[in-house]
Amino acid sequence: MTRRDPSSQVDLLQGTLDLLILRTLLAGSTHGHAIAKHIQRTSEEMLQVETGSLYPALHRLEARGWISASWALSDKGKRARFYRLTPQGRKQLVAEQSKWEALSRAIALILNPVDQGESQ
Amino acid sequence: MNSFFRKLLWLTQRRDKEAELREELRFHLEEDAEERQECGQTENEARRATRHEFGNVTLVQEITRAEWGWPRLEQVARDAGYGLRQIRRNPTFSTVAIATLALGIGGITAMFSVVYAVLIRPLPYANADRLVMIWDDMSKNDVTSKHNSTPAEWIEWRRLNSVFTDLATSQQGDATLSGDGEPEQLPTRKVSWTFWNVLGVQPMLGRVFTEDEDNKSMRVAVISYGLWQRRFGGASDIVGRRISLNDEPYEVIGVMPRSFYFMPSRDIDVWMPASWPSWMRRNFTWHDAHIVARLKPGVTVEQARQSMQALSLQVTAKDFRGPHSVFVVPLREEIAGKTKTALILLLCAAAALLLIACVNLANLLLSRGTVRGREVAVRAALGAGRGRLIAQFLTESLVLAGLGVVAGLLLALPAMLFLERLVPEAMGAARLTLDWRVLAFSAAIAVAAALIFGLAPALRGSRVSPQEELRDGGHGTAGARSHWFQHALIIAETALAVVLLTCGGLLLQTFQHLRNNDLGIRRESLLTFETPLFRYKDFDKRVAFLNAEIEKVREIPGVISAGSIDFIPFTNFARATFYRLDGQPESSLAGQVTLIRNVSRDYFATVGARLREGRFFIASDQKSDSPVAIVNEAFANRHFAGGSPLGRKFQFGNGHWYTIVGVVKQIRESGVLEEEKPAVYRVNKQCDQMYDLNAGVVVRTAVEPASIISAVRHAIWSLDKDQPLAHIQTMEEIVDHQLSTPSQSSALLTAFALLALLLASLGIYGVLSYTVTQRTPEIGVRMALGATSNQILFSFGRRGLALTLAGLAIGLVLAAFATHLMSALLYGFQPGYVSTVTGVSLVFLSVATLACFVPARRASRVNPVIALRNE
Repeated sequence: MTRRDPSSQVDLLQGTLDLLILRTLLAGSTHGHAIAKHIQRTSEEMLQVETGSLYPALHRLEARGWISASWALSDKGKRARFYRLTPQGRKQLVAEQSKWEALSRAIALILNPVDQGESQ
Repeated sequence: MNSFFRKLLWLTQRRDKEAELREELRFHLEEDAEERQECGQTENEARRATRHEFGNVTLVQEITRAEWGWPRLEQVARDAGYGLRQIRRNPTFSTVAIATLALGIGGITAMFSVVYAVLIRPLPYANADRLVMIWDDMSKNDVTSKHNSTPAEWIEWRRLNSVFTDLATSQQGDATLSGDGEPEQLPTRKVSWTFWNVLGVQPMLGRVFTEDEDNKSMRVAVISYGLWQRRFGGASDIVGRRISLNDEPYEVIGVMPRSFYFMPSRDIDVWMPASWPSWMRRNFTWHDAHIVARLKPGVTVEQARQSMQALSLQVTAKDFRGPHSVFVVPLREEIAGKTKTALILLLCAAAALLLIACVNLANLLLSRGTVRGREVAVRAALGAGRGRLIAQFLTESLVLAGLGVVAGLLLALPAMLFLERLVPEAMGAARLTLDWRVLAFSAAIAVAAALIFGLAPALRGSRVSPQEELRDGGHGTAGARSHWFQHALIIAETALAVVLLTCGGLLLQTFQHLRNNDLGIRRESLLTFETPLFRYKDFDKRVAFLNAEIEKVREIPGVISAGSIDFIPFTNFARATFYRLDGQPESSLAGQVTLIRNVSRDYFATVGARLREGRFFIASDQKSDSPVAIVNEAFANRHFAGGSPLGRKFQFGNGHWYTIVGVVKQIRESGVLEEEKPAVYRVNKQCDQMYDLNAGVVVRTAVEPASIISAVRHAIWSLDKDQPLAHIQTMEEIVDHQLSTPSQSSALLTAFALLALLLASLGIYGVLSYTVTQRTPEIGVRMALGATSNQILFSFGRRGLALTLAGLAIGLVLAAFATHLMSALLYGFQPGYVSTVTGVSLVFLSVATLACFVPARRASRVNPVIALRNE
């Protein structure tokens, strides 16, 4: 397994982890370790999920009723705690995602201004 | 299910959840390790790397667990639980602390309940803060400047004013209710039809009367809830019933709600139309009406005052006594009266007592903080931050304060029963209740108290250095520097206690003075009552009935003598009239007012009045064209200072000329606490017939006066079985009742002051004994080096006394200010300030000396061998 040099990793913005977890679970229910791996792999190792943030986040989302948990067997036949998106969580994901997209668009506009007719 | 209930459910499954979390994390670690092994690491390497990357498993568990509930709340609950354990573990400390707090909090809660009832609770009228009372300003004509107004003024003011939406007038008119059952004398008011609208009140049953009914003198009555329940058993068909008032039929048209009352007293039972006769509507001298008015929106009291003063001067311009101004007083001020000053003073006293209690507690906690240094050091060493330690200390203080509030409320409840008597006569709903506002107040007070007494110990206690504290024997010199704060607290509480003691002493002296004031009569063994004479229209018949009833009463065994006066002494400030002396021009009539009383021949002998000169009335003072009169000292001094008025004549209006035959020592007819006013006494056979003759009867007894009450009733009913008796009370009761505000405020303030003295001396004692304990090794060294026990005694005693003296000095300065603020409660009396201050200082110094001496003596008895061995 290849690991990136930590200096090239990006710290997660406050609250972003919740969004990423919800998005990951959209594909189907899975356990904490797989969620972390998925985020890491999909972000091309840019995002490293700390367990110290992952589990509190999972339990927080569960407390809010956005995901629910149940025990099931993993691929390798071990007991694991599987998380699943609830209907409420699905709604939350849509809201969070559009918020995030609006934000990143706004930031992109500032960072990469496109001169349109404003000749100087 | 929302997050709150989910967390609540989880709270019951904590154990299962813990196990699940452990398993979840273990799975994560195993999964990670397996992955690493698949990438070619050995099992050991993989496990170590995984552990390393994962970090502190316990920490991850802990912060995950925090998501299950309400971590802050749980921490507070844990601290509170710990606080409770601390309280159980130190029963002596806890009892002292809670008792101290209970005194402080209970006192201020009880006082606040009265302040709330009298000064804050909304009066039972619509927008009551827009209501004002208007009084005539007669300072040019009389010793009392604030007078009742006249119905004529009411009519003119209503017509011409620009600042009120409307004005209403009312007049006293006691009436006897008869018909079914014993005749009963009721306090009643004649009120103008505007009364209901001005106050903005509605009857609970029926209606109030109209302008038309008022103008046509209709006999309709609105009755009180109390009368409806008491006399009519709350009958649902009360509206429309006919009742008999002063032998005249009235129709009940409405019942007022229970909460309704209005000046001048809370127990008015009947309101009827004023229906002012036409002569009264034009007469500006008939000062017998209360006027209440509602300010127009946007008009201030000050604007109303200026406008009404100008209007009054204009309206009375043609009055023969010359124009006069008015007073405009907000209703609340009028109702609360002198009680306001007393209540504010007592509330301040209660606050001072609470502060002293807090200071004491702060001192106790500071001392204990040093004992707990080691425990705190352990916590700090295990990673508790300063903020966390402060939070824990404050939570413990809050737990103490919470218990203090509970104990305080238990103390406040019985105190409130006593304090009900402080509610002014003019206010209804005298019951003091622990409603939510009072409870919220005591809760707020408790939190404030916890902060006051807990903050300093928390700040101090949380500042520890674990290495130093945990090294054995690390105590010793640390305390010395920190004592200045405790000493400042001692000085502060001493000063507060001195202020309370001084004010208490002054009030007590004033009360003693008022109590021993020469009333002009002998108040013991004197029964008084009234027999309303509305049944006798003819003046001579009234006099005849009066004299007959006095004769009857005199025959009762145990009665020494009996007499009559139209108004029982100290109970009525009305019934004054204009007069002129012989030799004075007719115009002087305008500027002179005297109280006027009509008495039976034996009246003065019965009440035990004393003559300054001349004579009392005698049998030969019969109906005559050259009647005689007795004047009081204030009257004599007004016109004949230094000389004798005997033989001089005076005249009321243009009636007979009365010859002065005696000067009687001052009797304050208007009230025990009122100023001395000129008064004239006539024997009732020689009165002008135009007066209604009221019939107050006084009976001097050889036995307990209350014991003859039923004999008196029967004696009078043997003359006339329908004759009502009213206001049966002993003279002692009348006087005590009038002195109740000064007596209660001085008693309460003295109680607060004594408690303050006790707490302050306990405070001094506590701090000094603590110092002695702490410095025992040092004392041992000093004694080993040759200090005598007297030197030690002196050095410790001196410290305590120095603190006491500093507090005493500051307290006396503050007391001077406080005395100034409470001057209204001294009723013009000048208590001996110097003697009070000397007395207070002596009491304080002796108590404080004792409080210093006991620990100082303990210090002087330290055995150096034992002290040094312990080191």
